[in-house]
Amino acid sequence: MSTENGGPGESDPTESFTQGDEDDEPRISFYGGRGMSAFPIAFFILWAIAQTALWRISDTGGLVVGILLGLIFGMFFVRGNWKTYANTIFEGMTQPVAVTAIVAWIWAGMFAELLQDGGFVDGLVWLADVGGIGATLFPAMTFVLAALFTTGIGTGYGSAIAFVTLFFPAGLLLGANPVLLFGAILSGSIFGDNLAPVSDTTIVSAVTQDSDIGGVVASRFKYVIVAAVLAFAGYLVAGQFMGGLGIGGDAQELLVAESEPIGLIHLLSMGVVIGAAVAGRHIVEAISWGIVVAAVSGLALGLLSLGDIVMFNAPEDAPLAQPLEFLPVLTIVEDPGAVSVGGSLINGAAGFFELAILVLLIIAAAQIMIRGGAFQAILDWSIENLATNVRNAELTMVGSAALINAVITINTAAEVAIGPYISKIGERFNLNGYRRANILDAQTAALGYIFPWSGGVLAGYTAMQDLPGEYDWLTADMLATPVEVVPFVFQGWLLVAVFVVAAITGFGREYVIDRESEEVARL
Amino acid sequence: MSFLKKYLKGWQFRETNPSLEVGDVIDVFVAESNSATEGHVYIGDTHLIVEGAGPETVERQVRVRVTEFDAASTTGRGEFIEVVGESSYTS
Repeated sequence: MSTENGGPGESDPTESFTQGDEDDEPRISFYGGRGMSAFPIAFFILWAIAQTALWRISDTGGLVVGILLGLIFGMFFVRGNWKTYANTIFEGMTQPVAVTAIVAWIWAGMFAELLQDGGFVDGLVWLADVGGIGATLFPAMTFVLAALFTTGIGTGYGSAIAFVTLFFPAGLLLGANPVLLFGAILSGSIFGDNLAPVSDTTIVSAVTQDSDIGGVVASRFKYVIVAAVLAFAGYLVAGQFMGGLGIGGDAQELLVAESEPIGLIHLLSMGVVIGAAVAGRHIVEAISWGIVVAAVSGLALGLLSLGDIVMFNAPEDAPLAQPLEFLPVLTIVEDPGAVSVGGSLINGAAGFFELAILVLLIIAAAQIMIRGGAFQAILDWSIENLATNVRNAELTMVGSAALINAVITINTAAEVAIGPYISKIGERFNLNGYRRANILDAQTAALGYIFPWSGGVLAGYTAMQDLPGEYDWLTADMLATPVEVVPFVFQGWLLVAVFVVAAITGFGREYVIDRESEEVARL
Repeated sequence: MSFLKKYLKGWQFRETNPSLEVGDVIDVFVAESNSATEGHVYIGDTHLIVEGAGPETVERQVRVRVTEFDAASTTGRGEFIEVVGESSYTS
């Protein structure tokens, strides 16, 4: 993920997630042992597989019911007072790292929708057409631009939402393969989430391993760039072989030919967001400035009207509706079902409301697993039995970071939870802070955008759900699903592969006797 | 370290059993201690028995002077000088 923009001197994300080793004994005791505390998460994962993969129902509301039932059924296995179990749900749901992710989703959703309604996609199609970037090159270019954008703003979730909203439909229209496009967008998010100094996951990886952020970024560059070069080549090659969808034959050519460059003014809005983020502004502030610039430039150039941004659709009998009907943001509707507030801002934000609740509940279930000791049991076993030499220790670090990301969908939260164990295993073999931080963050950044139920994939997929309503030519069967995209998140898989190879061969390995990481506070 | 050097550092394959020299003074974490006066340090798979590093030094960073080292088996002995740091997960 990454939401908290700014240097390490600002709020420390590591303060916000309860770590598994804070208590000597599990606080919640379960019938059937510590492993039963994984019941709510396990129940949810099975539910999600059945609903989304077996029955192909991509309804977030259904997943919310799945995790709610998991939490309810899990309670029946608790020994003694159930109050602690209930309190742990609250403890999990109020973790600031989860809330900051949700804030980033909503802000990015509003920003992306505003750019979409302001003709940015049209501008992109024009630019790609004029520049000769056809269907085969488009996924590779999308990967590079998403990587640069994410590295600039530091939020992979926000970037996934923006690129799915803007680049995904442009790519489809140019004839690119939807699954490959979604994979390229997620890959770009991984690149930036992993490397950006202002990314939450970068900060957490450095802080939990007692290392300076500048040193961590510099030392991980070698792994990230090796994976990125291969991923870029992968998208180039796959683009040749994976065809796009036929979109109405001549209609497609007509739409491309009719595209206009004016929407490219929103490159300015994106530039403002990147500039503000790089200048150290909080991500909420940076995206807010982007929203203001997008709205003002869209209105000035006639790309948007005030009613496109916010529109109150009032019933005829509302007391002040008729007298104020002249307002550009008020419309009187006859159909009672059409009474609503509409426009870019609400459309952009609303898609994430259900997802926000879902993620809070998953974090709560993960907290049950931590407090109940299932997580501790797995890690204790792995330290004792798997980390028997330095090579196996590094592979265990890769595996345990992967495991936690499978369970906790917000990757920053997962990273905070696993940080102490990575430190414990690494210090045993005197691996230095940079090496530990890099192993930790690579798996976190990668798998947070690979697992179909991970925050990055769900954020992008949620943004995608709105697209058929925006374009006449785009239908629901053209969308890529979270399960389909798994093999095509090249940057993620390659990053994990680079670290498996690095653990086996010793590539990039540094011991504390080679170099000690500098103080955390130094950027 | 310069900006460029930071980016170029570590482009190499580091062995699992790094060598040490007698007389080296190194700051390392103590993995375990199974007696009152000796601690075990692993630098990768290189094993050093440190005299004077008792149970109170386990999972803390200590300064050690290497007193014996066999490059073939990458094992050796050292003497404890002082505690210089804490683990990042206990601090």
